[in-house]
Amino acid sequence: MTEPHKAEQPRRDGGLGRDLNARLQGIDPLGWALTLTIAVLAFLYPFYVEFLQDVPLIGDFIPGVGSMVVMLVFTVMAVGLNIVVGYAGLLDLGYVAFYAAGAYMAAWLASQQFEQWHFHLGSVGISKELSGLHLSIWIVVVLAGVFTTAVGILIGLPTLRLRGDYLAIVTLGFGEIIPQFVRNGDNVFGFDLTHGTFGISPIDSPGFGKTLSDATNELLPLSYQQSFDRARWFFWTAVVLLLITVFCSVRLRDSRLGRAWIAIREDETAAAAMGIPLMRTKTWAYAIGAFFGGVAGAFYASFKAGAFPADFYFNISVFLLCMVILGGLGSVWGVIVGGMVLGYLNVEGLATIGTKLQQDAGLNFEPSKYQFGIYGLIIVVMMLFRPTGLISERRHKREIEEGVQDESLYGTSK
Amino acid sequence: MSTNGVLLSLDDVHTYYGAIHALKGITIEVREGEIVTLIGANGAGKSTTLRSINGLNHPRRGTISFMGRDITSAAPHDVVKLGISQSPEGRKLFPRMSVSENLEMGAFQRRDRSALREDVDRVYSLFPRLAERKSQKAGTMSGGEQQMCAIGRALMARPKLLMLDEPSLGLAPIFVEKIFEIVREINQQGTTILLVEQNALMALDAADRGYVLETGTIALADEAKALRRNEQVRKTYLGE
Repeated sequence: MTEPHKAEQPRRDGGLGRDLNARLQGIDPLGWALTLTIAVLAFLYPFYVEFLQDVPLIGDFIPGVGSMVVMLVFTVMAVGLNIVVGYAGLLDLGYVAFYAAGAYMAAWLASQQFEQWHFHLGSVGISKELSGLHLSIWIVVVLAGVFTTAVGILIGLPTLRLRGDYLAIVTLGFGEIIPQFVRNGDNVFGFDLTHGTFGISPIDSPGFGKTLSDATNELLPLSYQQSFDRARWFFWTAVVLLLITVFCSVRLRDSRLGRAWIAIREDETAAAAMGIPLMRTKTWAYAIGAFFGGVAGAFYASFKAGAFPADFYFNISVFLLCMVILGGLGSVWGVIVGGMVLGYLNVEGLATIGTKLQQDAGLNFEPSKYQFGIYGLIIVVMMLFRPTGLISERRHKREIEEGVQDESLYGTSK
Repeated sequence: MSTNGVLLSLDDVHTYYGAIHALKGITIEVREGEIVTLIGANGAGKSTTLRSINGLNHPRRGTISFMGRDITSAAPHDVVKLGISQSPEGRKLFPRMSVSENLEMGAFQRRDRSALREDVDRVYSLFPRLAERKSQKAGTMSGGEQQMCAIGRALMARPKLLMLDEPSLGLAPIFVEKIFEIVREINQQGTTILLVEQNALMALDAADRGYVLETGTIALADEAKALRRNEQVRKTYLGE
């Protein structure tokens, strides 16, 4: 038993830092090829969407480029939320707060909201005489991410000491507070911060600016909103945003931090005993998830050219959570599928189905009226037949099949 | 050494679970190179003592110092960083991680990658069984193998002090023998050990010194050999 034993070199499991390298080198070429193909197909979507829409039977169900932008933005948020819920196992019911924070960041830094100031930095497509803060949307998107990260840390520090249901309740609270604050923020000690229920609009457009536009013979538009190909440019940018989010998400999952999240999810007490700083690790998950929520929010606000409090209700948080659960907790590819499917139903799918029902079957039934009932039904059906999601992540699959044992860290021991 | 060879010392430690006064003034010393055992009945406060040391339940009164540093209210991850790791009660492996991934988690606080390799090899040579099962999910192994994995995982932190909480709990007698054999070997390789056990016989045979805990207080403290002969200990804990 105790005689010296020459441990053989590990083959696949590697372990200890080599793991990541091995995994990166060992990535199957098929997976890479598939990813690349999907990315290329996605980029070319605007060029073939019209042909698809002409195909009989399915043609009417193909989303236009503009709808795709919305679906992609929601998918970015779902992938971000997946870091919190899927990786670290922290049930967050208030993710919409970060979305709102990002959107209002764009509204503050790229509109005429603050008329008393006059500052332009890289703004495109508007007169330099316009009052208010006008930063380039590219800068705003990054700043929004940083700002929401800070908000995430601020909300996370006091709340992440809680576990499970209690954390869910508190995040639910924050998800309710932020829209209320925004709605009533038109008179913060006499200062109009959020313009109340009217929201803030217009918000400046992203764009490449005059220099780049002229240099490329107007191939790159000066400003998206004024461009003839408005929807296409927003679409391509959204695809890039999603690719960046997915890349970060996958790299994080395979990092030391990702391992720590898994450990905490599996057994918090054991994780603490291994020297994993619980608060710091959980707060990172929350903050990074918040970052992507903020980026998506800022981009979406600039796409819609406005930020309105009605966009940030609790149901958005639940909707995003549905995407994550439908796709598969912890599974990046699953969440993308879940996000695109539910996003599609939300943006135009249900309405299309309703029209079809009316035209072809003569039924007077509008599914979009019952949309949350329908999403709920989808989740119930999923839970019954495929609880691990459309594309399940292997570890979560085992967790759901075997159950987790987690007892209170600070409770009484035997 | 300024601390006189004393690695860990608890001085009049009082720990509570809510309103329950679990440790009522515990004073313990662990010197470098020793195996010290805490024995006692269920609920005597053995595990609570370990939880007080590793920062999961901070004492309300008293001090704990490790290598001359006050760690009374240190966070669990700082305690690990300072060189105390443990195999917790009930093993607490990450059941859905493989054996090698579990070992990797044990080294979470360490940055010296090259030395990690050696330590993995060391764990595998202490527990050849783990080497055979390194890609198996920890939760699917037998109790004895899981205990080996838990001890191996704790060793991966390269601790100065290794705390073992009931390593023999629920194991077949043959595994109990093996585990204690390995505990001695780890000690001979230079790791100080604080061993919590209900199996007093095995624990006292392995240890240099022992403390007997009774409802949150130290009832007896002596050389393990002396405790082994002590009339009261023999009657209560050894069933002789």
